[in-house]
Amino acid sequence: MLFSFLNSYRRSIATTALLALALAFAFSSLRINAWEAVLPLFEWMETSWFGVIGKTWGGAFAVVQAIHLLAMALSGGAILISNGRLLGLLLRDQPVQTILIKSHRLFVISLIIAIISGVFMACGVATKIIYLPVYWIKMLALTAGVLFTFTIKQPLLADGVENLNPWVVRAAAVASLTVWFTVAATGRWIGYSG
Amino acid sequence: MLNQLIYDFALWLDASRWSTLLHESYYMYNWVETAHVLSLVPSLGILFFIDLRMLGVAFPEVPATTIARHLRLPMFIGFGLMIITGLLLFYAIPVRSSQSVWFRLKFLLLIGAGINALVFHYRMQQSVGSWNTAPVAPANIRAGALLSLLFWSLIVICGRLIAYDWYDCVRQQSGLINLFAGCIDGQSQF
Repeated sequence: MLFSFLNSYRRSIATTALLALALAFAFSSLRINAWEAVLPLFEWMETSWFGVIGKTWGGAFAVVQAIHLLAMALSGGAILISNGRLLGLLLRDQPVQTILIKSHRLFVISLIIAIISGVFMACGVATKIIYLPVYWIKMLALTAGVLFTFTIKQPLLADGVENLNPWVVRAAAVASLTVWFTVAATGRWIGYSG
Repeated sequence: MLNQLIYDFALWLDASRWSTLLHESYYMYNWVETAHVLSLVPSLGILFFIDLRMLGVAFPEVPATTIARHLRLPMFIGFGLMIITGLLLFYAIPVRSSQSVWFRLKFLLLIGAGINALVFHYRMQQSVGSWNTAPVAPANIRAGALLSLLFWSLIVICGRLIAYDWYDCVRQQSGLINLFAGCIDGQSQF
């Protein structure tokens, strides 16, 4: 009985366990050792092509920042529309699956653009951001967002929402909005730190 | 003449107590700026989906009027938040902002985007009955959607560039930059 119950939620349990481990790691002394271990990587990032371009040409850095913002806007629009539909607030007269599938496709494309432009920006200021707690909080939130979206939310909704408990669907939508809002807000706060 | 008027108006705003308080408050200023940036999501994020629907990229099977009607309210809320926080950011740093070439370019682009939105809305109202369920809108509507994407992308780029001081009046600039930025001879505040 217990095993069959756990088996039904193995992906959610595995993802939650992984996030719990990441949180435990973030608030333990292990983090300090890991920090020292990744410092050479961040030093290398600053000397890479991305790092050199980002540090040398302020204009290039600014344009990539703007591309990052545009990608954030598009991915945020996809998140708002798909979760708004799940909550019954937007496009109520359209099939849920149509909205979810099409918005997810654009979400993935914009997320890839945001990650590539984000890596470029990180390279330009790598030895600064490694010391910023808010940067690591953003990375933790981003990991949670990606894991939640691809291992919990999408598989959960893949076969339609008709057979799901409406409160589970609403909880998934609220969790998705919360985690991606945290990613965007902490990203903005990196600019004010350090 | 116009630049002098803008400069005097900016000085008048700058002299107000609330402008200084907002500028000097680390947390308040950053919260307003964060709200301005995050308002991109409900405003531009949704506008992009409406534009992409017209281009046949997003939700081609959903009628164009359905997309526009249902997404209008959250989009306008987003734009409302963006305008309020944008005005507050200008109010916090009026002199430098009004003399930023990027701010001035952004302002011109905003006017362009506004006119394009009005023309787009008018054309859509006139013709939507004949193509509402078609996956791709007619050429003139697609052109409006493409222009909208272009205008807003440039607006975001200019908004981002305002933070950089390459063309500020406080630095030595060419005559053309001085003219476009509206630098005033002998001005004492930046």
